Amino acid sequence: MTENPTNDPTSRRTFLRNGARIAAMTGLGALGGVLAGRSNADAWVWQIDPQKCVRCGNCATECVLEQSAVKCVHSYAICGYCNLCTGYFEPEPNALTTAAENQLCPTAAIRRTFIEDPYYEYSIDEDLCIGCAKCVEGCTRFGNGSLFLQIRHDRCVRCNECAIARTCPGDAFRRVPASQPYLLKETH
Amino acid sequence: MKKEFQLLDRREFFRDAAKAAAVAATVGAAARASAQRARPNPFAYDVSHLEKTDSKLISHEEIQRWRAPYSEARRLALAPGGELLVASGNYVTTFSAEGERGLEIALTEPARALTVSEEGLIYIGLRDHIEVFDAKGQRQATWDSPARKTWFTGLALVKDEVIAADAGNRVLLRYDRAGKLLDRLGARDRERNVPGFTVPSPHLIVRLAPDGLLRVNNPGRHRVEAYSLDGDFVLAWGQPGMGIRTFCGCCNPINFTLLPDGRFVTCEKGLPRVKIYSLQGEFESVVAGTESFPENAKACASRGLGDCTQGGLDAVADAQGRIFILDYVTGEIRVMKQKA
Ligand code: SF4
Ligand code: SF4
Ligand code: SF4
Repeated sequence: MTENPTNDPTSRRTFLRNGARIAAMTGLGALGGVLAGRSNADAWVWQIDPQKCVRCGNCATECVLEQSAVKCVHSYAICGYCNLCTGYFEPEPNALTTAAENQLCPTAAIRRTFIEDPYYEYSIDEDLCIGCAKCVEGCTRFGNGSLFLQIRHDRCVRCNECAIARTCPGDAFRRVPASQPYLLKETH
Repeated sequence: MKKEFQLLDRREFFRDAAKAAAVAATVGAAARASAQRARPNPFAYDVSHLEKTDSKLISHEEIQRWRAPYSEARRLALAPGGELLVASGNYVTTFSAEGERGLEIALTEPARALTVSEEGLIYIGLRDHIEVFDAKGQRQATWDSPARKTWFTGLALVKDEVIAADAGNRVLLRYDRAGKLLDRLGARDRERNVPGFTVPSPHLIVRLAPDGLLRVNNPGRHRVEAYSLDGDFVLAWGQPGMGIRTFCGCCNPINFTLLPDGRFVTCEKGLPRVKIYSLQGEFESVVAGTESFPENAKACASRGLGDCTQGGLDAVADAQGRIFILDYVTGEIRVMKQKA
């Protein structure tokens, strides 16, 4: 029983995943660079520890900005590329389609892209994401936990006291060096 | 003097007022923060109605419960004589059906796969290789690791062969009883109509059914599949969904076993529940619903773990149809009997 290597979904998926992962990390890395260049005097910034976040919804409502600086981040290395993504779909969807009524995200900020049966890739449209953590809860509760929240430092205005941190029930906010402003989830 | 006294008074008055204002502001901020902390989440992901099972669907009752001897309890197996084997920590421990502790085998790492032959040989799947022990717990053989990403999670005995489920490489491996690798089954092959296993988390189980076909869970496709020993894909059943008749979350069932008449007992994570399906894969009843495993359900819902790969259940069924359930989170082993 042999497998045609050109049809090997693993290698293709790994390829796609690696590509996406590098792109995702590059995005955050570049933003880190922007941040580091912004000010050297104030060397600490706020960030969310994904292991402590309890997905309470405050990140969407408590930020001083009209649209929260907190966004969903996707770790492609952890993702299962699931057909039934519990971060994307309502708990009881009518069908596993992209129809609005099946989507969990209140702003339709998650894109679902077919890769190969039965794999789908999920990506976040950051302009639409309000940081509500609904998808994070779905993915953490029933999946691999590849979706998580981070303060995006290209948006955050760096309040002395972060307004979300004050109300965070998980005590998930902490100060991190501006040179390494993200707390990423890379493995289980 | 009077004037001075008055000045002092005034200073004190202002200081006290400032203090009171500061205290009021702090108390106010704290009260606001705690109110914000406590208020209901407008974006809540609510599955609470799925955590309670309709009592009419529950077919079994618990008759006994005890705890696995070590943490990280992950696998059960039954010996032909009815002894229960429990893999927890770096040990495999035997118990009588009543929970009395017997033999203990020390391992170098946790066991994820376990089965016992008619002759009493114990086959243990460690992460990347298989070890064989005799009935006294003496190591008889160590088989080489077959591939780079191997992660054994299931073992079944078939005639004079051993079938091992390798979740890391998403294949079944056929070995002879001496550990010689004979074949690889179940890898995706369009020409042979083999769909391939989708395994988002390390849960791939293989069992031999009374009809002579292998049964394997395909968690990413939410179904149980049947294969011939030659690797032909024969049939599949199972549907995704949160409802009780379907398999919930991204990837379930994570484990299953067979009753003596060949019906299926399935285990899910996320909404931890154990259910029975007919030979054709029709939902029949619930052995134990999510409400029976509150700690397990919480393991996925709370912070700290960061994902749902720690929760889950395993099950085996003995010749009398009693079902033994292992709770990964509490380490408890429950014995379930069909209700009268
Ligand atoms: S406020 Fe804290 S617990 Fe709530 S969603 Fe934000 S990080 Fe998570
Ligand atoms: S569900 Fe909430 S956190 Fe997730 S992508 Fe949508 S807006 Fe962002
Ligand atoms: S520091 Fe200010 S802008 Fe940044 S996340 Fe907190 S409240 Fe929003």
